[in-house]
Amino acid sequence: MSAVPSAPIPLAAGDVLPPRTVGPMTRNHFVRYAGAGGDFNPIHHDETLAQASGYPGVFGMGLLHAGILGVQLARWVGPDNIRSFAVRYTAQVWPGDELTFTGTVTDVVDGLASITLEVVRQTGEVAARATATAVALAP
Amino acid sequence: MADLAAAVGRTLGVLTFPLERSKLRELALALHDEDPVWHDADSAAADGFDGGVPVPPTATVLAAHWSDGGIIGPPLALGMDIRRLLHGESAWTFTGVPVRLGDDLTATMVVADVTERPGRTGGTMTLLKIDTAFVNQRGEAVAALRDTWVEKAAP
Repeated sequence: MSAVPSAPIPLAAGDVLPPRTVGPMTRNHFVRYAGAGGDFNPIHHDETLAQASGYPGVFGMGLLHAGILGVQLARWVGPDNIRSFAVRYTAQVWPGDELTFTGTVTDVVDGLASITLEVVRQTGEVAARATATAVALAP
Repeated sequence: MADLAAAVGRTLGVLTFPLERSKLRELALALHDEDPVWHDADSAAADGFDGGVPVPPTATVLAAHWSDGGIIGPPLALGMDIRRLLHGESAWTFTGVPVRLGDDLTATMVVADVTERPGRTGGTMTLLKIDTAFVNQRGEAVAALRDTWVEKAAP
């Protein structure tokens, strides 16, 4: 595995997060995150309750794909350099989904890079949109 | 949701939780990252982290293990319906003070805002924003989180 940066890295507008696809997502992944992250909302693991609530079945918690995106962001720019990370959940993630995680630097001002990121389902639907800022070096 | 609107400004709780090695490893694996840098001192040092083991940006979720009802405890305690509850947004800011395995973080949760909107298919949806401030064992602010919870309109 490539090293995780411990210091700011050079970033410029147009630089991209090394893209990554994760999946297919499984109920096991949801349950594993439930235990790790303390999210036992049954809508994410109880098929009966999910269907009674009007869903086709269980779906992944937003903090699971936000967390995967966050750790990818940290691997890229360095965990100590992130100054903000804001994620908006725009669509559900279902068992079987293949998720692609992407990000692009939009600008760098006074050593702070602005980054837009997305989590995209295999259908092209965006499951989450995010923005982040990170301390960076001039390229 | 008059009761919920009245909760704006209320402190929901203050709790201190440890960023401990086993939970951080479990979290990294749940986030599909098998790199030992997130839990092993030698691996972190090999990557140049001389002040300890770094954590993923969303590691503040570990507070949920010390909170009644876990991550969804606060919206449920405020009366939101679990069958209509969705997470809308999570937004962190970080001060730049490094967060490390072994830190003890104190989280203070406050109801920041309650908004009602017409639902897409009728009824009323409710947006609840909860702010959590995280301070480390030295009293240094390290992060702030704003969660937005959505209660969809009743069918």
